[in-house]
Amino acid sequence: MNDYRLILFLLAALFSVWAVMARRLLTSAIMLALVSVTVSLIFFDYGAPWAGVFELSVCAGLITVLFVGAVSLIRAADEQNPENRSRFHALPLVLAAFAIASWYYLPAFFAELSAWARPGTGGGTIGLALWDMRRPDLLGQILMLAAGVFVIKSVFPRRNEK
Amino acid sequence: MNLILIPIVLPLAAALALLLISEKTKYLKELLASAAALVSLAAAANIFMLPAQEFTMPWLTESISFTLRADSLSAFLLLAVSLFSAAISVYSFSLADKGPSKWFFFNLLMTQAFAAGAALADNMVAMLFFWEGLLVFLYTFIALSQPNKAAKRTAMKAFLINGVTDLCLLVGITITGYIAGTMSMSEIAQNKLTLDYGWAVFGYVLLMIGAVSKAGAFPFHTWIPDAATDSSAPFMAYVPAAIDKLLGIYFLARASIYLYALNGTMSLVLMTLGAVTILVAVMMAFVQKDYKRLLSYHAVSQTGYMILGIGTLNPIGIAGGLFHMINHATYKSCLFMTAGSVERQAGTGDLSKLGGLFRAMPLTGIAFIIAAAAISGIAPLNGFFSKELVYKGTLDTGWTVFFIAAELGSFLTLASFLKLGHSVYFGKRHESMKDVKEAPFSMLLPMAALAAICVAFGFGAELPLNNFISPALAALGVEHGHMAGFHADKLYFISLIVILAAVVNHMLGLAAGGGKADKASDHIHYAPVLKETYELADRRAFDIYEQSMDKAVPFFSKLLFRVDRFFDWAIDTLPSGVAGFLGGTASRFHNGSYPLYMALTLAGAVVYILLAAANGGLK
Amino acid sequence: MDKGLLAYLIIPLFAAVVIPFAARNRPRLADVLANVTLLAGLANLAWLALRPSMIAGGFADIPGDGFSLLLVAAIYLVALCVTFFSAWFIEEGLPNRQAYYSLILVSVAAMTGVVTTSDFFTLYVFVEVLAVTSFALITTDESAGGIEGALKYFFLTFPASALIIVGLSILMMTLGSLSYENLRIFMSSDIPSGPVTFAAALMLLGFVIKSGVVPFHAWTPDAYQGAYAPVSAHLAGIVTKISGVYAIVKIATLLRFFDGRATAVSEMLMFLGLLSIVVGALAALKQTSFKRMLAFSSISQVGYIVLAAGLGTPLAIMGAVFHLFNHATFKTVLFLNSASLEKAAGTTDMDKLGGMEHPMPWTSWTSVIALLSTAGVPPLSGFWSKLLIILALWESGLRTYAVVALLFSIVTLAYFMIMQRKVFFGRKSAAAESASEVSAPLLAPAVLMSAVIVAVGLLFPYFYTYVRVVAERIIL
Repeated sequence: MNDYRLILFLLAALFSVWAVMARRLLTSAIMLALVSVTVSLIFFDYGAPWAGVFELSVCAGLITVLFVGAVSLIRAADEQNPENRSRFHALPLVLAAFAIASWYYLPAFFAELSAWARPGTGGGTIGLALWDMRRPDLLGQILMLAAGVFVIKSVFPRRNEK
Repeated sequence: MNLILIPIVLPLAAALALLLISEKTKYLKELLASAAALVSLAAAANIFMLPAQEFTMPWLTESISFTLRADSLSAFLLLAVSLFSAAISVYSFSLADKGPSKWFFFNLLMTQAFAAGAALADNMVAMLFFWEGLLVFLYTFIALSQPNKAAKRTAMKAFLINGVTDLCLLVGITITGYIAGTMSMSEIAQNKLTLDYGWAVFGYVLLMIGAVSKAGAFPFHTWIPDAATDSSAPFMAYVPAAIDKLLGIYFLARASIYLYALNGTMSLVLMTLGAVTILVAVMMAFVQKDYKRLLSYHAVSQTGYMILGIGTLNPIGIAGGLFHMINHATYKSCLFMTAGSVERQAGTGDLSKLGGLFRAMPLTGIAFIIAAAAISGIAPLNGFFSKELVYKGTLDTGWTVFFIAAELGSFLTLASFLKLGHSVYFGKRHESMKDVKEAPFSMLLPMAALAAICVAFGFGAELPLNNFISPALAALGVEHGHMAGFHADKLYFISLIVILAAVVNHMLGLAAGGGKADKASDHIHYAPVLKETYELADRRAFDIYEQSMDKAVPFFSKLLFRVDRFFDWAIDTLPSGVAGFLGGTASRFHNGSYPLYMALTLAGAVVYILLAAANGGLK
Repeated sequence: MDKGLLAYLIIPLFAAVVIPFAARNRPRLADVLANVTLLAGLANLAWLALRPSMIAGGFADIPGDGFSLLLVAAIYLVALCVTFFSAWFIEEGLPNRQAYYSLILVSVAAMTGVVTTSDFFTLYVFVEVLAVTSFALITTDESAGGIEGALKYFFLTFPASALIIVGLSILMMTLGSLSYENLRIFMSSDIPSGPVTFAAALMLLGFVIKSGVVPFHAWTPDAYQGAYAPVSAHLAGIVTKISGVYAIVKIATLLRFFDGRATAVSEMLMFLGLLSIVVGALAALKQTSFKRMLAFSSISQVGYIVLAAGLGTPLAIMGAVFHLFNHATFKTVLFLNSASLEKAAGTTDMDKLGGMEHPMPWTSWTSVIALLSTAGVPPLSGFWSKLLIILALWESGLRTYAVVALLFSIVTLAYFMIMQRKVFFGRKSAAAESASEVSAPLLAPAVLMSAVIVAVGLLFPYFYTYVRVVAERIIL
């Protein structure tokens, strides 16, 4: 089980670094979606199903759609003036340093946090989580979907016209 | 209407009516002014005859009422003021050299009205009101007397000097009224203030400064000689010679004897001030080469006798001071009138150009000789008697040094008048003055009248002493014995010695000056040490006003300008500069660089989280 | 979730869904539907809160905590102004007119959700919806500046969402619940509050970033400047205030700053507020673009609200709530006027404008009213709210803060005066020669809002009663 989680964590880290380092914005957007997918899997694994659901639907789904839309809007301009990316090459080093530091400090931080933890009200099935406790969030979800639709409706016709 | 109001209201109304009369009309203005002055004189005489009158009107608040009170001192002063107003308005009837006649008479009547008010006022605030009103008309009087810049400049000088000292008077009155708990002088007099209380000394000294500066004592006199050259003879005869002396000495007497009970130290201060004024001014007068300017220094010098007399604080001295006040006004007015006549007829007041005019203007000459003899203290003219009283009072205090100083002043006075009379009326007449004629009647009449008063007050010195000075002293609450009469005592002989010395000095001077009367003072003028001192005085090194205008005022104005610039900069330039700098920095920073913004956001977030964690309980 | 106000969320959402279908072939119908929806909502709200009996009763019967109702009213008011303005502003050929109105209505629904919810996670969801709609709205006219602004808005506020999520999770771990009520009960108990406060602090940071408080303000000027003209009024007037500032005020009251339970967070918040006031005002002094200057002014004004929220005393909360409302009114007027200027003169560059008062008197004078209100000149509404805030600061002994707040109120006046002189007064520029006043429908929203500013300022006693009710309810 721990190996599974470790793999997920490592994947999340890998995808997020990739998202930042990627030369093409489209790749970045997709990697970001993959980070969200991984994180939502972690949520499920930790017994937070509704968090996972939201992460999956909102972050991996909608936001990715938005990003892809935005990227396709600006790609033409972006490719004409390639960005100087050399400074991003230092990022893995920084991340490595951060990872080593957090290896030492974060467990202590979480230990402290868990000392404060109280029994959460989460758990149960996704359906239960959605319908019984988080009904207003569902409204938010609907709004989010509507917004997404309208954004696509608003952004893409312009794209096609050009 | 109360009789007491007439000497104030009538000139005021006449002055305002004058403004309605066109400048082109002949004699109408003169007639109106003279009539107003003469009627006021009659009213003043009537007031003087009647027992003390009072007029009260509620004014500013409960405690400050508008009170006029004609006790015998005030009534005497009112009479004198009205007399000189009448004399001058008659004298100016046909004098051309006095500025626009409308404004001249307006100023004259206004000055008369306010002087009468100041003389009568019992409430110190009311007196201050009239006193400050005089200041305004002092300025306009000088400024409008001649159409040149010098007149304006001198007017400003006179205004500033008197303005500052009037401010002192204002503070002094405030302090006095505060200590006494009332602004009414007669109420204060019932329970005189002493100088023991800390603020009282301060209050008295300020009152004294206001009074002696009005009288034109050293060192507040410096505008008078300037006015002598930059203004008209009737103005000089009226304001610095008569009105200012009268009011200044009147109020000095009120303050020193009526309101405060002075001690020996303050008496010494006053006497020193008087002696210094006598000597400094007479030294300056002695060497002057201009008729009016020479007289103007004497006007200052004679003030010293009055201050000296009042400073003795004994009845004889005070009587001498007051008597000298009225005498001085008489002969000095007369002298300025002769100066005005000579200037009008001969066209100049420069001593080196004048000479031998006695034959052409005998009446003027006689008036001059009488008045000059009176001012020099030659028996038995009025000046001799008043000076004698002052001397006696001074000797009674035991301070012989002041007596010697006064006698020295007397000697120099006579010497300078010998020089003046000799160079104007005797000696050789200048070629260009062949056709000079006697002055018109309207000018001779007041001159003759004043000269006659000089003689009358001399031979019949008992008359003024008993009728004017005694009641005035009684009004001040001073006990005194009999003082009239001619005494052939040592003082008389000393005066004879002084006369002889002056004549000898004149002879010496004539001999040294090659027979030219106007150079008769040169042997003293150019004596070692004195020469340098006179040069400094010529450069106005001793003139506080000029010195402060030249050095202190530019310095302070520059300093204040700098301070103002600094505040201006601090309020105006600095904030906009700082704001511009900060705003410019802020807008340069927002250059649209995404990484920069992101870095800023992340850095801020890190700091925030660390702070929140450190302070929020996650330790 | 406040059930009573749920309709104000659902109806715009419904209208938003209906519009694309109903107005498929008649684009103008979209204008009508959007305006009618919002107007109906506003009328309903007015009846709810401004009934004579309600006013006479001192607003004691107001549903919910009153805060939500006030903000819903502000949302509807601003949105109505924006849609009404847009109806005449949008060029005929714009292909996605229906989607534009749908997005505005969705954002209205989302904002209503934000202000009516009583749960942090729901709040977060609505705030994210708002972010998405804003992103699309900013780019409506597809200008380069708009896209740049939208991307900056999105990317720079992304860390905010991350921080809120982290804060939410820590709160969930330590408190075991995400509802406001539980946090309030927890904070008023004696249990040491450490991690809970920390979690709240993280969420606060997220909302601070979303409100564009210095030093997290970098996205604001670019987004406001680049945004489609009416959208910038919508965005600056209400959206960022609801998605950021409202939550800050809410959390500030929940954390019970006035109890001294979370002093460190309170102090940090106040410091950020003051920094915002100062930096925003100073940067605004030097701007040459009208809209960019307004954006910095917005940063500065948000600083006042954050400062007051950070102080957290009842009086300060009243000031914050009131200023939030006022800010919506005057900033809407100014942004709409900048849009009118853009339409009439073709530019918002202050160096190129001048003497616009002559062709555009209405625009000029509504701007004057709004800017005087912003600067806090009596008797306009902005004066009262600033007065409350400064009084609260003074009463709490924070003299320096009060003085600085007062001082920068003057700087506010200064930069607006510079703006007014450069744009409206002064010598007629070439732009002023050719420009003419915009049509009456375009002026109507600005005039309406100006009237609201004046009315609220003059009827302050009534408003004060209302705001006091709000403050009492949300603090107790």
